Amino acid sequence: MFSEQPAGFPALKLKNITKVYPGVIALEDVNIEARSGEVHGLIGKNGAGKSTLVGIVAGLIRPTSGSIEVKGRRFPFLTRAQGMQEGIAIVTQEPEVILDISVAENLFLGEQPASFGLVDQREMYRKTEKILTDYGLDISPGYRAGDLSLSERQLLLILKACVAEDAGIVILDEASAPLTQKDARLLRSMVKRLREAGKAIIYISHQIDELLGICDRLTVLRDGRSVITCGKSSLNHRSLSELIVGEPLSDQNSKSNAAGNVEGETLLSLSGFTKWGAFESVNLTVRRGEVVGLAGLRGSGRTELMKAIAGIDPPDAGKMIFKGRQCSFRTPNLALRDGIAYLPEERELEGLIKGFSIKDNLILNCLHILSSYGVIRKNDCDRLSEKIFKDVECKAFSTEQDVDELSGGNKQKVLIGRIMALKPDLYLLDEPTRGVDIGAKKNIQSLIIENIRGSAGVLVSSPGLDDLAEICDRILVMYKGRIAACHKGPNFEEHALFMEIQGMTGTEAAGTDAAER
Amino acid sequence: MSFSLKFKLALLDNVIWLMLFCFFILCLIGVPEFASAANIVNIFYHSSIMSILVLAEGFVLLSGKLDLSIDGILAFAPGAVILLATKWAPDVFGNPWLCLVLTIILGGLVGFFNGFCVAKLDMNPFMQTLSMSIILRGLVLFLIPLSIFPLNPAYSYIGKARLSLLGRSIPVTIIAVLLIYSVFGFILRRTVFGRNYMATGGNERASYVAGIDTTRMILGGYIIAGMLAAFAGILTAGRQDSVSNTMGSGAVMLAFAGALLGGTSMSGGKGSAFGMLGGSLLLGMFSNSLNLLGVTVTLVHASQGALIFVAILADRLRIRARARLLRNEQLKKLKESEVALG
Repeated sequence: MFSEQPAGFPALKLKNITKVYPGVIALEDVNIEARSGEVHGLIGKNGAGKSTLVGIVAGLIRPTSGSIEVKGRRFPFLTRAQGMQEGIAIVTQEPEVILDISVAENLFLGEQPASFGLVDQREMYRKTEKILTDYGLDISPGYRAGDLSLSERQLLLILKACVAEDAGIVILDEASAPLTQKDARLLRSMVKRLREAGKAIIYISHQIDELLGICDRLTVLRDGRSVITCGKSSLNHRSLSELIVGEPLSDQNSKSNAAGNVEGETLLSLSGFTKWGAFESVNLTVRRGEVVGLAGLRGSGRTELMKAIAGIDPPDAGKMIFKGRQCSFRTPNLALRDGIAYLPEERELEGLIKGFSIKDNLILNCLHILSSYGVIRKNDCDRLSEKIFKDVECKAFSTEQDVDELSGGNKQKVLIGRIMALKPDLYLLDEPTRGVDIGAKKNIQSLIIENIRGSAGVLVSSPGLDDLAEICDRILVMYKGRIAACHKGPNFEEHALFMEIQGMTGTEAAGTDAAER
Repeated sequence: MSFSLKFKLALLDNVIWLMLFCFFILCLIGVPEFASAANIVNIFYHSSIMSILVLAEGFVLLSGKLDLSIDGILAFAPGAVILLATKWAPDVFGNPWLCLVLTIILGGLVGFFNGFCVAKLDMNPFMQTLSMSIILRGLVLFLIPLSIFPLNPAYSYIGKARLSLLGRSIPVTIIAVLLIYSVFGFILRRTVFGRNYMATGGNERASYVAGIDTTRMILGGYIIAGMLAAFAGILTAGRQDSVSNTMGSGAVMLAFAGALLGGTSMSGGKGSAFGMLGGSLLLGMFSNSLNLLGVTVTLVHASQGALIFVAILADRLRIRARARLLRNEQLKKLKESEVALG
């Protein structure tokens, strides 16, 4: 596991790369250099051009102009086959393993140790065992890959790229996104070892702290241009955020807006809410004008809980009182009619209607208000969609544009606009800032605090604790389908929260955490 | 966006009508009488039944499903009703107006059954409607071994009669078809049902989460397709003044072709009534031109297949041209901004 080049040698150079798409200039004159033995961070808002850049290096996208230099050899563009031949590996945030074969077979897929065309099973399992224990993964090589958690699959893919295929240049494209906190720590130590082995690693992430902790140098992309490349020592959290957004951060302290005690009537109360296999005996209340956070790992049941309240996947047992009446919604349109709106976590899958314009997506939920006798009143539609479009500060040419052409953050704003148009009483926001850049995140957070909260109750979830701490009046911690703790704002003990999310109690965890660090 | 770009995009989006126009000019060169008013009426008349089937199929395609049984319904619905009216219970069902309504209802019922299986029981639409198609065709063969004729003039009125309009005799069929198409154009673009229906096709899960009753939408799509197919059956029966067991046999694939030619997407959510009309007219105009050119009837099918192939090719080219147009526009803007920045 060593590369033939000395450390510090530029393994991959992108020179003056420009890529133009119909409708957008994705990259403009970008120069990036990744050296072997270095972790090179890449950060930027959604739509800044990260994915295009990765696609170009991977050989999936042809640049409009510019060149790529791999270990001193120059290419106008790469094909996927060339990229693999040159030892470029990519791990994305969607861990795609082959579910029905074993861990070992996945790890050595395409590279099986073989003699005379027969796979040497024993050798393969032995090597796998060694790699797995080497890198501290507690999985047996014989497991079916489909039985692994998302997080474990991701680590497996990273090991496949770096160790089994022994690629010299590794691109981790938001690869840490599906990881649990524990596995993220494991990834960090893995990356360190790989760096020492002389690999050039391009590390892409939305998490500023993560990048500052792991990278040697950082490149910031903004609007398709590389704004700066520099060593991490010259950056801190704040200056980096400003570089990404492109303007100084306002010191708006949202916490002061979010007063700790809310006096509004009780809007929603759940008791003994249960869906077997997802969550169990959940009790919670949301008042009018209150923002309640649901913190928890993926799979802790928070998404399922929200979907159950919204009638999308109805619960098996429990009582729900909404606006003083006992209800149980069996379908989302019943819940919607009563004033419960759900913002889906999976934007593309459960949110957007592809092929519809921004306008049609925005007004999808309120067609019944905008019509008489089933016929839509066009002018009212235009007026309402323009108004919401402005309210959510969505950035696009016009509302007639196809929603597919927007960046992730703007797509999310469209979806938030859609449910805001209905003026519901209760908002269920499932990871409203997921996969969204910093600028859009601030927009969305201020939308929640200023526009949404006024007369309605909000239940919001997020994988990031600081996001929740900024906007919530209360935070509930979910762990393995139960509500493990409740914290009142405005000042949250993030450390304790962090531990509870992992299923540890505050005191006991303090020690282990210190030890692990 | 500049006007010329908008115009080009609009042209590309309605490429089927452009193709129709080009083809028309081409035929005109070969056969001068092609453009005569009589022939144009003839083209409309001969593509009218197919255009209703295209609308039926296209409508189901919009919701992201498909229906193979529409040509079965076309034969079954009028067949069964005429049997009722002439053999089984002539004294009850003697009234031809009642028969017309009953035919449409019967088509709707078959559509309801299809939709129920697909939307509620989650059956595969291909398999389910294939079985339905075979069942219906088989039943028609069993029930109507020999053609039943003549029909009550009131029943065959829409399919056969002509009205004198603008000093010319126009078949009632054409008027009915144009009327139906405009109604469906309106439904799809301007009604709550239409928008929700299109949304269901665009992304079923998202529509469900957004509070649309997607089951009802899909069910509705099948019912409407069934009713349209039954209406096409009335037209067919009226035109030949009889019901027979071969009516509409094999037409479903051409209906698919017409809908796809008209820009309907197989995966749902994309398409328009206007486009579908263009698609079916192209099919009709093509076979008409072959007739006039004296091409032997046995070759018409193969030629139609070739036409479909050409159209699909044109559609791919259209999508590429569209992307290139937008990209060039963007490049232009980029250059302009560079100039502005100096």
